[in-house]
Amino acid sequence: MPPADDIEDIDPGLAGERTHLAWTRTAIAYAALGAAILKNSPVAGVPILALSVVVWELGRLPRAPGTRHARAWRLLLVTAIVTGIALVALITSFLSSGSGGLLIKHQ
Amino acid sequence: MADTSTSESPPAPVKASDGSEPDARFTFANERTFLAWSRTSLALVVAGLAVIQLLPPFPGVPWGRHLIGTPLILLGAAVSVLGYREWSGNQRALRRGEPMRQSNLPRLLAGTVTGIALVAAALALLSSLRGH
Repeated sequence: MPPADDIEDIDPGLAGERTHLAWTRTAIAYAALGAAILKNSPVAGVPILALSVVVWELGRLPRAPGTRHARAWRLLLVTAIVTGIALVALITSFLSSGSGGLLIKHQ
Repeated sequence: MADTSTSESPPAPVKASDGSEPDARFTFANERTFLAWSRTSLALVVAGLAVIQLLPPFPGVPWGRHLIGTPLILLGAAVSVLGYREWSGNQRALRRGEPMRQSNLPRLLAGTVTGIALVAAALALLSSLRGH
């Protein structure tokens, strides 16, 4: 039996499976948030649901052989998504301080 | 522990300064850690948003919700960006076979959340003194 350079050759898809599940959890977090916001503010809920699909697909994208590390842009995209949501949250919170929220409407 | 012994393996397309392809398990684990920080960051942002937009106002302290929620949202944004930087630094260390630097994210998270909790407690107290 030749020595395997790569653990994935001996044991395919355990670490990869866990990582895929982590992507799924992350996508579900966006889906749950989107669904919760959708109830009161479809304008904000639909884009967040769309983002959950984006994150889901990012986790499903195959890795090119030999370039398992080359996922930087996907992680950068996830970072940009969270930071963008934070920015929108800040802006809407200060714009609508008096009368409930734009993202989550109180009452 | 740079990977020089397994010269049989096809050379990975990497920059010269970039070391060698690390064990796939480490790459996967690093990515999962990033995703966990990313979820934490999303939770912080959503918590801040909920405090500002869902909570009824503190009696007597109209700016109270913003005082709690805004730092939570900012912390969420910071955790997200720092989580990416940490992933990037860890991946570089793995490629070069260098030790990974100790993460300062747990300290930042614990410290800021503690601070926000103290502010929230003070607000609740102030509100019960001022209101009614």
